[in-house]
Amino acid sequence: MLRYIARRALQIIPTILGISIISFSLLYIFPGDPAEFIVEARYGVEPTQEMVEKIRIEMGLDKPFVVQYFNWLSKAVRGDFGISWTEDKTVMEVILERLPISAELFFATFAISVVFALILGVISAVHKDKAIDHICRIYSLLGISIPSFWLGLILIWIFSVQLHLLPAFGCCELKHLILPVLTWCFSFMAIKTRFVRASLLEELSKNYVITARAKGLPEKLVVFRHALRNALIPIITYFSLSLHHLIVGSIMVEVVFSWPGLGSLLVESVFKRDFPVVQALVFLSGVLLITMNLVVDLLYAVIDPRIRYGD
Amino acid sequence: MRLTRRDFVKYTGFGAASLLGMSFLGCMTKETTKDTLIIGYAEDLKLRGDPAKIDRSIPKFCVLERLIEYDLSSDDFVPSLAKKWDVESGGKRIVFELKKGILFSDGAEMDANAVKFTYDILVVRKHSVAPRSVEVIDDHTVAFNFDEAWVLNFAKLQDVHGLGVMSPKSVKPEGDPNGTLVDLIGTGPFKVVEYVENQYTVLEPNRYWFEQTGLEPKIKKLIVKVIPDEDTRVLALRSGEVDVLIDNYHGGYDYTPRNQLSALKKDGFKILTKNIPYTWIVVFNYRKEPFNDIEMRRAVNYAINRDEIAKIFDGWVRPAWNGMFPPEVPGMAEANIRYEYNPEKAKEIVNGKDVGEITLIVNKSQSDQILVAQLVQQQLKNVGLNIKLETLEKGVYKQKRNSGDYNLRIYYIGGSERTFYMRIFWRFLPPEKPWKVYMSDNVTEKAIAVVKEFDKTKRRQKFIEFYKALYEEAGVAPLYYEVVAVAEKPNVEGIKFEYSEPRFYSTYVKA
Repeated sequence: MLRYIARRALQIIPTILGISIISFSLLYIFPGDPAEFIVEARYGVEPTQEMVEKIRIEMGLDKPFVVQYFNWLSKAVRGDFGISWTEDKTVMEVILERLPISAELFFATFAISVVFALILGVISAVHKDKAIDHICRIYSLLGISIPSFWLGLILIWIFSVQLHLLPAFGCCELKHLILPVLTWCFSFMAIKTRFVRASLLEELSKNYVITARAKGLPEKLVVFRHALRNALIPIITYFSLSLHHLIVGSIMVEVVFSWPGLGSLLVESVFKRDFPVVQALVFLSGVLLITMNLVVDLLYAVIDPRIRYGD
Repeated sequence: MRLTRRDFVKYTGFGAASLLGMSFLGCMTKETTKDTLIIGYAEDLKLRGDPAKIDRSIPKFCVLERLIEYDLSSDDFVPSLAKKWDVESGGKRIVFELKKGILFSDGAEMDANAVKFTYDILVVRKHSVAPRSVEVIDDHTVAFNFDEAWVLNFAKLQDVHGLGVMSPKSVKPEGDPNGTLVDLIGTGPFKVVEYVENQYTVLEPNRYWFEQTGLEPKIKKLIVKVIPDEDTRVLALRSGEVDVLIDNYHGGYDYTPRNQLSALKKDGFKILTKNIPYTWIVVFNYRKEPFNDIEMRRAVNYAINRDEIAKIFDGWVRPAWNGMFPPEVPGMAEANIRYEYNPEKAKEIVNGKDVGEITLIVNKSQSDQILVAQLVQQQLKNVGLNIKLETLEKGVYKQKRNSGDYNLRIYYIGGSERTFYMRIFWRFLPPEKPWKVYMSDNVTEKAIAVVKEFDKTKRRQKFIEFYKALYEEAGVAPLYYEVVAVAEKPNVEGIKFEYSEPRFYSTYVKA
């Protein structure tokens, strides 16, 4: 097991390096001169050539790309992404200030989505091709298709403008949480509901389920004790992988509801050309996804004792 | 005397009826008001960190005051915190005598040291509106030294890109121009009492300001809530969560969408607008073909129907027929300029020339300007110009602008009243920079003459010559004159514009 963990941990290093290259390259992928962006962000004025040259040297932008990249990476692995160009704080300070606000929105959405996706997915699978299944499938289709920003504005119009029940924007009280969570859940849950349904249907079509039914086991036991338990392995994997949405998964919801989390931060930073923050968010989001992937792989053994790792 | 049950009922009934009547009369005679005004605004006010970066709107006109202000209607720089001033060294040095007894919101006196501290924040950052140096002469006299002798020195001291006078206690370490802003303390009508970054700011009346002016604050709290999304801002106004929406008028973004103003008005909301000396224009790349040819620039001016462009904004802006600035700008009305819409004349000019494909670039982040650019494209196509419209991300737009890789671009000149003079410098005066819009020997000479002239009567004449020269050379193609707008609930009263900015010191909200 330890050898497996070590091997898997080593395997993620090239992927993380790939992400880091992409994250760092954002500075140069975006059109325009980074030194000019810094002058504008720092001084709020149109940059003069003199200012640009000064910044280029000060920030090491005159050095070769590879040198700049390794300088950045050596600091990034220690959690040092430099200073925000617009906030006069370290990038980590900026991110850590916003993280709890995003986490509040994400975990509320995640918890509700998981519970209801499981319920709807199971109902849909158990009643395959019946009216309730069709309703669940139509919901899933709508949830995937309707853009969050549009749904958010419609919900604001209904619950804030027309009914005066909930606030249209703001944070961080319970009443502020309801509409953003509802909006995000609508799409977040839809994908998961489809996934639960598909996984459970796959299990329900397997021979051991036919055998269980032939033995005369009650349907509830067949579904919940046998099929669902087996279906849970890919479901847990899929659900766990969505944890990376914590970083910047709710961009549109945060923007529409003025929720000052990491999604809003990413949008603001892109518009203000605050590249250290953009780089850090892209990098951390990628790293979180890969880490979750690794953790889930390792948890397989715990969830399903039949899985072994060749040791 | 024995009080019977009947008497008791009679007297208490009478008493209750009297009380009810009096309270009813009270309601009739005295209007009840809410004590809080909530403003929806697109951006965080940036009240922490670098003091030079505080937001250009509410902190600068609600919390801070400047030494002088600029009154566009009279083209005068008028006293504010300064009582009077002397211009020395031909204009390179201005010595201000400060008003006495002006208090910061913490009760400390505003003095020359506070003024020096404030402007040193800009000096140490080599800010574009910074003086060269500031000297304290005595407690109430302060001198500003500049590199050039021009009227822009006054403009810099009240420009929105600069600062208003703040207490040295606003930063940590105290009084250090390089320090970090921790608590913005000014002399203006409001003081900051709470600030939650990216969420809201709570302001309360600064009692010293109200005592000084003899006015009575009508609200106890002014709350500025940050709502970046423009549609959410409008919905927040409609839902009653905010009382007022105000524009960031800096440059075509973060304002209440113009196409929603009429709908809001129809639904009973009040819309206040103020004309500002701010004009959206088509900039020619006059250094290369085909717009190095004055005739081609004239053709574009003939081809543009400015009325059609103004219609995009539902009638809330004015078409720019009368020159580069609206008629209320100094000298503009007297310049007597009138652009002509004459597509036939434009066709005549264009027909004889083989100009090939013309690139028109527009900055994507200014969404209204995309519509404007599309209409300009269509109007120019109608006269035979083959226009390729490129809607570009901000960085690409700037890159193309800086490298000169365009023929036409959508841009703006002017700004709010307090930015008017500096934008003359930033758009028309040397040194040549990619963001300048038009420079020629004649126009540049006349623009320099404007900003070098301290006498306002003579300056007005020089303005006229400058406008005419620009018109005659068809240096730019003005499109429409911008406004700054306030959308407010019907029960909000007393917001008034001063120097292009909405002021709230006499605002109240009827309950």
